[in-house]
Amino acid sequence: MKNHVSSYTVDLLKRRWLSDKSFEIALSAPPRFEFEPGQRILLRLGEHERDYSIVSSPRESDLTLCIRMVAGGKLSVLLSVADIGTSLSINGPHGYFTYKPSRRPAVFVATGTGIAPFCSMARSGITGFTLLHGVGLPDDLYYASLFQQNAKKYVPCLTEAKELPNFTFKGKVTEYIDQHLAPGAYDFYLCGRNEMIRDVTLLIDERFPESLVYTEQFY
Amino acid sequence: MKIYTGTGDRGKTSLFSGERISKADARIDAYGDLDELNSLLGALASHLSAHEMLVAELQQIQCDLFLAGSWLATRPDAPSMGSLREISPQRIEFLEKAIDRFEKDLPVLKAFILPGGHITAAWAHVVRTVCRRCERKVVLFINEFMKEKTAAPYQRLLIYLNRLSDYLFALARKCNQLHGVSDKPWRP
Repeated sequence: MKNHVSSYTVDLLKRRWLSDKSFEIALSAPPRFEFEPGQRILLRLGEHERDYSIVSSPRESDLTLCIRMVAGGKLSVLLSVADIGTSLSINGPHGYFTYKPSRRPAVFVATGTGIAPFCSMARSGITGFTLLHGVGLPDDLYYASLFQQNAKKYVPCLTEAKELPNFTFKGKVTEYIDQHLAPGAYDFYLCGRNEMIRDVTLLIDERFPESLVYTEQFY
Repeated sequence: MKIYTGTGDRGKTSLFSGERISKADARIDAYGDLDELNSLLGALASHLSAHEMLVAELQQIQCDLFLAGSWLATRPDAPSMGSLREISPQRIEFLEKAIDRFEKDLPVLKAFILPGGHITAAWAHVVRTVCRRCERKVVLFINEFMKEKTAAPYQRLLIYLNRLSDYLFALARKCNQLHGVSDKPWRP
């Protein structure tokens, strides 16, 4: 585990819009900054700060984050308009939400930008997992091609789409697990909002009690 | 940040190593006592606010106990064990040196003493007894791993808790001395 935590000043190098509400930013990776896929950093701009999971792999030269504009969010708005070259402060790496190889099949479950740590894992060469990604509309499936290549099974779970693209499921991730995941013992990795983590965990207790559950909660 | 997750509403909780287990499990009982011990150390430190060095020492111990909690929340054969920091031998030496420092200035004990005296000493004795209970709970649940010979990571924790109880006994006597109160010997 990379847990040598330090603070660094980094530059905003690029911004790439993924949808009308979400974008990626690339930051200059500080020399000697080491992290493991799944870890996060605390990003600070002015008086505002927030934790973000890293989307890029440790092998890449830039640190990439996935940001979603949220109602009332201050940092996300600032980052959406900040000039390229702006200096930002980061602290990290933080967290223990890293991939632990085992004999049980891995099931990754994300909602929204909770997909970020799984991106870093996939970009780092982790394969063979099932990934359920819960979003409203297909526009929010920013990293579909990455997971189509790396996942054993990739199931976007769409809650608001009227027309379903191929290989997608209409409904919540909990409904998919309840209806389609075969009985057995799994290693579940859950990343997203509190409600999803609670509902999936209680479902695991009921249906897959021999499984392990690792969680990373978004606030 | 919300502190409630709702994942424990049906009597189960998650270990750091990923298992979902009953809140009535012996392991949860042990780290519940560790939490109680840590909270009581905080209460004791509040009563000692005039003694900055002792407060700093107690807060270091509170940090050690958080580390101890992460060990108790992890099965010894789990991959997550690799990401935990060990309680180092230096942390046990730290307690031993503090005990020696207290005892250097204290009268030699010739009898059992009644737990109590100044309020800070009385608190230190309460914390000591909770520390002993916590130690017993840890012994109880690691017996299972002793049979599997996977208990090595827990051994240092047991040493730490044993030494911490001694530290709290010596601290209780030091607290009485600092406040001009004599330890009361037990007279059968």
